[in-house]
Amino acid sequence: MAGASQGTGLRRLFWVIPLAMLPLPLWLNPYQQYVLNTALVYVPVGIGFNLVVGNLGLLAFSNVAYFGLGAYTSGILTASLGLPWWLTIIPAAIVGGIAGFVASIPALRGVRLFYLAIMTLAFGELMRWTYIRWETLTGGSMGMAVPTATLFGWRLDSDRSRFYAFLILTVLVVAATDRLLRSRFGRAFMAIKDNELAAAAMGIRTDRYIVLTFAWGGAVVGIGGSMFAISVGHLSPVSFDLTELVLQFAIIMVGGLGSLAGSIIGAAVITVLPQIFISFPGFEELVFGLLIILIILFLPRGLASLLARLHPAFVERYYRG
Amino acid sequence: MADPPLLELRDVTVRFGGLIAVNAVSFRVNKGEICALIGPNGAGKTSLFNAVSGNVIANSGSILFRGEEIRQLTPHEISARGARRTFQNGGLFADLTALENVLVGLHSQVGSRFFGLLFGRRSAAAERDATARARVLLDLMGVGAIADQKAGALSGGQQRIVEIVRALATNPPLLLLDEPAVGLSPPARQQLADVIRRLARERGVGILLIEHAIELVMSVADRVIVLTEGRKVADAPPAEVRADRAVLEAYLGHA
Repeated sequence: MAGASQGTGLRRLFWVIPLAMLPLPLWLNPYQQYVLNTALVYVPVGIGFNLVVGNLGLLAFSNVAYFGLGAYTSGILTASLGLPWWLTIIPAAIVGGIAGFVASIPALRGVRLFYLAIMTLAFGELMRWTYIRWETLTGGSMGMAVPTATLFGWRLDSDRSRFYAFLILTVLVVAATDRLLRSRFGRAFMAIKDNELAAAAMGIRTDRYIVLTFAWGGAVVGIGGSMFAISVGHLSPVSFDLTELVLQFAIIMVGGLGSLAGSIIGAAVITVLPQIFISFPGFEELVFGLLIILIILFLPRGLASLLARLHPAFVERYYRG
Repeated sequence: MADPPLLELRDVTVRFGGLIAVNAVSFRVNKGEICALIGPNGAGKTSLFNAVSGNVIANSGSILFRGEEIRQLTPHEISARGARRTFQNGGLFADLTALENVLVGLHSQVGSRFFGLLFGRRSAAAERDATARARVLLDLMGVGAIADQKAGALSGGQQRIVEIVRALATNPPLLLLDEPAVGLSPPARQQLADVIRRLARERGVGILLIEHAIELVMSVADRVIVLTEGRKVADAPPAEVRADRAVLEAYLGHA
């Protein structure tokens, strides 16, 4: 573990990554820019999911519920109340956080594994049903248009301008989660994942940590939803179905369960790769699927484990690749 | 009035449905005393132990820790009050290093708060202090050299000692050890016995120990409590218990 402390100084260099991304819009065509924005949307989405499933070790599949609720919160508040988008980010996070809290109730009552999986899955589907039925607010299955986002009066009417807003939000979420995971919280998550009884015997309030993780995860995913809403400009219930859940699950599996870097890498890989395979028309799903299988087969702890082997700076304190 | 005993059980009864696992058991553990709980399988040792640590709530009776009722408290509350346990099948967090395991033991003393962490306040100092303390504790118990190895990769004896260090990290006055010698080689048992004795003699820790390894019990315990079919049948120093007919019967079964 000497490597881990050796890496902490170099870790500051990670700030260079978002800075290096700043000029990217100069080289990308509008479509590539849209793909990059989508990758950024899925970073907080992956992070929130990974906290619950990867770090805490609970099989909760309600991630799409937080994602959809965050998206609709921003969509409805901008469309119906005419609020500027930036004012709806916090409400989207709060709604996502509340949904996370609600989804944690079965886990608090001791529901685990497949039982927890199916209950939380049902929660996600229930939300989709709500978007379809609550037509006055959501536009039902036809969906709703999301007005052009504004940030402090500045209109984010292109993918290029939205990119900068997304980059800032993503960096904030990553930095905050990084602090959390490197502290005693990250350690407590690992302890709970490994042995809940022993964790409680060490004075860890396991119930409190479960609520906290679901709520923080839900809030972060809600922010991702808010970004998604303005990125696509149109919300409809099909965006929040089981296929979407599988995609989000693939992000954390390919990236690396329990790894913050894994959530970021996974988001990038899962959104960018299919675009590369578009040049094999008719085969893109096949190639994409095979690639996911190969990654999981040869790197069961995800691409992040490869990164951690590369250099000590990439070793995360409480991720064992 | 004198201080109340460290741990006092009065008529503690634990029932699982119709089965009475522990039947009106009373005893005390004093400061610096090593008290062993023995008895055949199914005698109720583990149920009694779980009742003290909060993993099971006793149906009736009273469990007083330093004079305070703890019968209905949760495991983390009892742990926070200073009665800490180890687990029969090894309760270490396998993916964490020995040092990190001890840091989990110090969890409540690393005072970082959720929103403090999110919005900038650093907890580096608390973390550093805790890490330094954890290293000292591991060194004291002779396992400092393996501090940075994953707990899952340690030998059985090392694991048991790290688990005790983890439980002791917050200086609890009472330590509950659930079969710490299971699966240990004779030299490792010897090392464990030394650690247990030192804790009681040098640091005044009260120890309640469940153990099947009878020679370990006889060599470390100040008092031996024998349970059979949920009842206490003996509570005396090891030499007396060894000579007791009721104990022999408990182990050999009734004719």
